[in-house]
Amino acid sequence: MTRRIAVTLMFAVLALDARAAAHNEFQTFVRKNSGRPVDCALCHVHSNGPEGTGAGQVGSLNPAELERLGRARAAFEPGTIVDSPILNGFGDSLVVRLGKKRILELRSAPAELAVEISQTSDLDLDGISDSSEYLAGTHPLIASDGNPWSLFLHNLRRRAFQLSMITVATGLGLFGFINLLHGFALRLRARQDQGPMSA
Amino acid sequence: MKLLDVPRITAEFARDRFPLEKLNAESMLTKKEVPVHRMSWAYYLGGLALFFFLVQVVTGLMLLFYYQPTVSDAHASVEYISQHVSGGALVRNLHAWSSSAMILTVIVHVLTTFAMKAFAKPRELTWVTGVGLALLVFSFGFTGYLLPWNQIAVNATKVGLQSIEAIGQYLPGEMATWPKYARETIQGEAAVGQATLSRFYALHVILLPLLVAGLLGLHLFQVQIHGMSHGVDAEHVKREKFFPFFVIKDLSVWGVAFLVLFVLGLCLPFESFFAYPLMEPFDPLGSTPEGIKPEWYFYFVYYPLELLPYWVVMLAMTALVGGLFLAPWVLAGSNRRTLRAIAIAAAIYFVVVTLFGQQIYEVFKGVNP
Repeated sequence: MTRRIAVTLMFAVLALDARAAAHNEFQTFVRKNSGRPVDCALCHVHSNGPEGTGAGQVGSLNPAELERLGRARAAFEPGTIVDSPILNGFGDSLVVRLGKKRILELRSAPAELAVEISQTSDLDLDGISDSSEYLAGTHPLIASDGNPWSLFLHNLRRRAFQLSMITVATGLGLFGFINLLHGFALRLRARQDQGPMSA
Repeated sequence: MKLLDVPRITAEFARDRFPLEKLNAESMLTKKEVPVHRMSWAYYLGGLALFFFLVQVVTGLMLLFYYQPTVSDAHASVEYISQHVSGGALVRNLHAWSSSAMILTVIVHVLTTFAMKAFAKPRELTWVTGVGLALLVFSFGFTGYLLPWNQIAVNATKVGLQSIEAIGQYLPGEMATWPKYARETIQGEAAVGQATLSRFYALHVILLPLLVAGLLGLHLFQVQIHGMSHGVDAEHVKREKFFPFFVIKDLSVWGVAFLVLFVLGLCLPFESFFAYPLMEPFDPLGSTPEGIKPEWYFYFVYYPLELLPYWVVMLAMTALVGGLFLAPWVLAGSNRRTLRAIAIAAAIYFVVVTLFGQQIYEVFKGVNP
């Protein structure tokens, strides 16, 4: 009974706190900086942010998830490993690296978040750092989302072996087909030269 | 022309378009020749479009193994293909890139054959089936766009279907309701939903491929039996053997196209050209996100629709499609210089609107569409 009351109270407090937790300042900055229609899914599980009853929103969380949320929201200092049910991997990584206190401070200077994110961190391994993705308004967790040219160059380097293999295979295949066609043509001409009777 | 002459004229028309005496290996292979001139590169475009279509068929069949055509699972199944199926991202990317490549090739093919007056007698049927195929290719693009069931797909389809219904306001009497019925028939229910997805899926993977197979068969038969058109005004041009020389060059073009396609498929995600919120699953309760547009190959209609009165654009498009179908008869007396000028003007329009449509829109309206 006591546990149920505690969970209910926790849920009520978190639900009231939900709007403040969305931190629209970052989203507004990224939209303005990149010109892309970025939504809350940049850091949150749900594209409309934590408020609501959809998947990954506070209203849908079970007691175990609420406990995880509570631990994540208590991580004011950097270094605490969190697994928030309302944040995605990028959101969690920000809390781990900066701590919630610093994130709250950065709401007044959202551009500085790009400086404070590790310049080497690339969560989706697409070759574009999370910091650059934040500034460019592309998703740090979606490998297919990023500056097309940067993605192309990165993948070209990463897939050089496969590409060289497919080039060799295509070249050899063409070489074979072309010689086969030449062979057919020679045989056809030989038959024509022999005339219809001998053919 | 008397009524009694109709069977004779029809028989003559059929005899000229289906010369059965040419139905042998000698005419269609060993003795067949292809003109060589400065526009010869255009002879490879039809084969290239066919190559991209074949890639579409192969990759499309692979995608069918995993794709779920239901509103609840479509988006998740596409994500599953991209993230968990071995080679799934590559196959999906190849499908997306080859569809765009196919449409671009078809557009250039139509423009070049028009400029070369390849529709002239006896190739009217080659041209008419070709125009039919071009329309089917656009229909593939329209129906396939919806299948991933993401925000951009569903919202863009809604806009497309609304524009069909809007035609009704310009039609007289009972005919005014026909576009509404057409929209409801395509849509299948009051709003874009499961019935729409099922219908688009059936169209995309069964009906349209069957229509393409039929038309393509007739198109290729006509190409083979009549050979390549002369293409230029000069009476005497060099000619080369279709087999093996032209076939080898055609095959080499296919090889290069395959390599380019593979590099793009492996290295450049097609989705990187869209903002990620547009790729999220469609939310029927959510508001329409920003940046909803059709695929790039519909920009030549989309931006005029945003800038000009609807009836002007519809009239122009009806005239364009009708004019294309009737070109062999309407433009029978035109010289190649005139046709080339029309084709170049059309190409410039297409390129400018496709590349700079957004900027043009902003200049005229001062806001995003």
